[in-house]
Amino acid sequence: MPYHEFECSKCIPERKKHAVVKGPGETLADALPAGYLNTIPGSISERGCAYCGAKHVIGTPMKDVIHLSHGPVGCTYDTWQTKRYISDNDNFQLKHTFASDMKEKHVVFGAEKMLKQNIIEAFKAFPNMKRMSIYQTCASALIGDDIHAVAAEVMEEMPDVDIFVCNSPGFRGPSQSGGHHTICIAWFKEKVGTVEPKITSDYVINYVGEYNIQGDQHVMDDFFKRMGVQVLSTFTGNGSYDELRSMHRAHLNVLECARSSEYLCNELRVKYGIPRLDIDGFGFEPLSLSLRKVGLFFGIEDRAQKIIDEETARWKPELDWYKARLTGKKVCLWPGGSKLWHWAHVIHEEFGVEVVSVYTKFGHQGDMEKGISRVEEGALAIDDPNELEGMEALETLKPDIIFTGKRPGEVAKKVRVPYLNAHAYHNGPWKGFEGWVRFARDIYNGIFSPMHKLAFLDISKDEIPTDKGFETARMISDVNLSEEIRSSTTLREYTGKFDCVGEILKKTDYPNFEPEPVGAL
Amino acid sequence: MSCELHEKPRVGTIDPIFTCQPCGAQFASIGIKDCIGIVHGGQGCVMFVRLLISQHLKESFEIASSSVHEDGAVFGAVKRVEEAVDVLLMRYPAIKVIPIISTCSTEVIGDDIDGVVTKLNAGLLKEKYPNREVHLIPIHTPSFVGSMITGYDLAVKDFVEYFAKKSEPNNKINLITGWVNPGDVTALKHLLAEMQIDATVLFEIENFDSPLMPYGNFVSHGDTTIADLVDTANATGTIALNRYEGGKAAQYLENEFDVPCIIGPTPIGIRNTDTFLANLKKMTGKPIPESLVHERGIALDAIADVAHMFLADKKVAIYGNPDLVIGLAQFCLDLGMKPKLLLLGDDNASYPNDPRLKELQDNVADDMEIITNADLWELDKRLKEGTLELDLILGHSKGRFVSIDNNVPMVRVGFPTYDRAGLYRHPVVGYAGAIWLAEQMANTLFADMEYKHVREWSLNVW
Repeated sequence: MPYHEFECSKCIPERKKHAVVKGPGETLADALPAGYLNTIPGSISERGCAYCGAKHVIGTPMKDVIHLSHGPVGCTYDTWQTKRYISDNDNFQLKHTFASDMKEKHVVFGAEKMLKQNIIEAFKAFPNMKRMSIYQTCASALIGDDIHAVAAEVMEEMPDVDIFVCNSPGFRGPSQSGGHHTICIAWFKEKVGTVEPKITSDYVINYVGEYNIQGDQHVMDDFFKRMGVQVLSTFTGNGSYDELRSMHRAHLNVLECARSSEYLCNELRVKYGIPRLDIDGFGFEPLSLSLRKVGLFFGIEDRAQKIIDEETARWKPELDWYKARLTGKKVCLWPGGSKLWHWAHVIHEEFGVEVVSVYTKFGHQGDMEKGISRVEEGALAIDDPNELEGMEALETLKPDIIFTGKRPGEVAKKVRVPYLNAHAYHNGPWKGFEGWVRFARDIYNGIFSPMHKLAFLDISKDEIPTDKGFETARMISDVNLSEEIRSSTTLREYTGKFDCVGEILKKTDYPNFEPEPVGAL
Repeated sequence: MSCELHEKPRVGTIDPIFTCQPCGAQFASIGIKDCIGIVHGGQGCVMFVRLLISQHLKESFEIASSSVHEDGAVFGAVKRVEEAVDVLLMRYPAIKVIPIISTCSTEVIGDDIDGVVTKLNAGLLKEKYPNREVHLIPIHTPSFVGSMITGYDLAVKDFVEYFAKKSEPNNKINLITGWVNPGDVTALKHLLAEMQIDATVLFEIENFDSPLMPYGNFVSHGDTTIADLVDTANATGTIALNRYEGGKAAQYLENEFDVPCIIGPTPIGIRNTDTFLANLKKMTGKPIPESLVHERGIALDAIADVAHMFLADKKVAIYGNPDLVIGLAQFCLDLGMKPKLLLLGDDNASYPNDPRLKELQDNVADDMEIITNADLWELDKRLKEGTLELDLILGHSKGRFVSIDNNVPMVRVGFPTYDRAGLYRHPVVGYAGAIWLAEQMANTLFADMEYKHVREWSLNVW
């Protein structure tokens, strides 16, 4: 059996089916861990809750919306300013968060009246904001407040506002994933089809499952604009509430994070017949293929190819500079969900790193299926990992770097493994061609940090090298490189700016394509 | 001209200053050695609190969840606690203390965490772990009551109440630090050492400024032991530095074991540190040594360099933990500054009776507002509307955009301060803290003068 039994988890045998090693010649049928099952209490799992999956992950990236959580203040506070989803409207969604601030008396006597007061107060505080999302929490779910009724009442009294209600209390399902599902379905049922958009192109898409972490959406939006494709809405990064109400008029749903929002695409396909196209903005090859696929769908491959050629010529020499130096480095790819399969193969192919382990906190078996099929043989795959298993894996695998969350990153730091933030990125965006080079650059700076190397010296026991006043990353990374690579005049280090998104947002010189009949070649 | 104290006039919270009770209990729990708490509720109540604390301390540490899912919310979830305790004990052989921390969901469904502790003590612990020292401590922290501050206060009291046991006098004092940083603990221990006072520091989180060692695998943990907690009943006295973060426990020890307590003042600034030393002297009979006169002199010297030239008359708003806010306001007044707005982020009914707030109300001649149950919007709104003019903000990182968007410089202080490097290492208490605060405020104003090109030349000859 390919199941991997952790020493630390021998006493909880049900954990055994949650980790596998992809052995030589084994198929997915042999090597697929159990997934998305109830968490074992007390295991110190890294999972979050369905409220955060709905509100924090998917709801809040919407930019022109008052995000109000109905419950005690903690849910709101705790999920505020812990992500890097930016927007082009001055980051309203990052700056302000709203809690109905449920207190004991409300738990006893009901909180609907005060919720209504809350809604009115919030609109009054921000008179330019006319849209609101209200998120249920454990407390408001359990006392049974009818949030929909309150929202309907306010909308009747204030005709210029629109309110979306998402009932996804924290306890709903084994992880945050339950919340992704709930909010997708709720948005589809309640809001899609309630606004008619202005169509400005023959090629109209919804960009779904894109949360604009550090500007990913701006980067991808730029490509679509350069292709003459109208992005009707983005679900939800930098997304606009009313644009998302008009999703039903797109010709194609371009889906990025299938884990969190394939539900929405599937509903849109069933009801409105809009096809779903899964794409991938990470990595030169997957991104090129994705742009080509979108081009192919609309019969405008030439436009896609032009972008691919330009971007590849500009950035490939920089990608390859890093690849030459990162080849063979061992990586633990320990993200939340979809990045395990978005990245598993492409970081191997394009950065040259070896993925020695993948894990997922809230992914389902389908995510593992994709991830495991893409990693190299010998990789350890863990579902719903916990603190001790993570430590044990780090000790045995001895990775050179780990891609994971902030707090697990602190654990890795103590065993002298540099970490990159897989959810929020270090110096992103990491989507797009330039973004992918930025990712490579971040990995390089992590692994080859001279300070990192010093952390392995025990001054009480080891011979202290006294011959150097400093080292540079290059002095460490280039030791074993061939002269050809070291002195290459074609390869080069990253030459972009600290902020690569600001320029994109200022851009206005997009090509003006002549309208063509839809689907024409 | 008056100093007014009132509640925020809105029912809702826009940009909260505090999170809820379970976070406070969790923060207290990580100060205890061989302790991993179980938070009984949804997983987010732990996952996000761990993230928050780790963002602040730049460290990891362990807190478990009972992972209540839908079935538990409907049919009751005490079984999840039983399972969680067993799993924790099996996998963490060193663990002795397990607080069971309730949340809003499990309080609403009425899960009996006291009952389950009794059951586990009689069943699981006897049968499966007969030779192991295990303490299960129920802590009721529904999120819809109080705030992270009351959660901390309550948990400290519950831990002390559970363990404290009268035996022989230990000739030590109990020092309950309140919600502080590792750097504060270092500063406090230094003062105690200079006074040659043997103290039990609750809760001892100095080690959360922990090293990256060549042999790897260093896990940060608190250093308050079970023996420390048991012995609190035998102390000469208790000093709780913060009225709202540890005051309850100090009072408990006095009521239950006749351990006299002094609550406050938070030793922020020269004057409050003087009072703290006076209290130590009173409680132990130990004199204040020349070394501290010297140290105080260094602080006064440093402050004299910045106070009346740069800090005097500067208008400041302060938000955060109540004892911190009050202590900072007092220090600012001593520095000649003008606190204009104090924001206390919860609805603690005893604020209006706090003698320090009364003292402010009675003696501050300028316009000053103290808002309870406050949120950051009370500050942001005033700045945006132009009804409040400020030179400086003192507060934690959650208010960073108030500072950024309104172009008011801000000194990060309190919890959490994740958007600045290493602040957990620097004390705000004691003479060292007074120096750090005054100089941080001055340097922050200087940088702002330079960015804005306002009298930046005046620093040429300073």
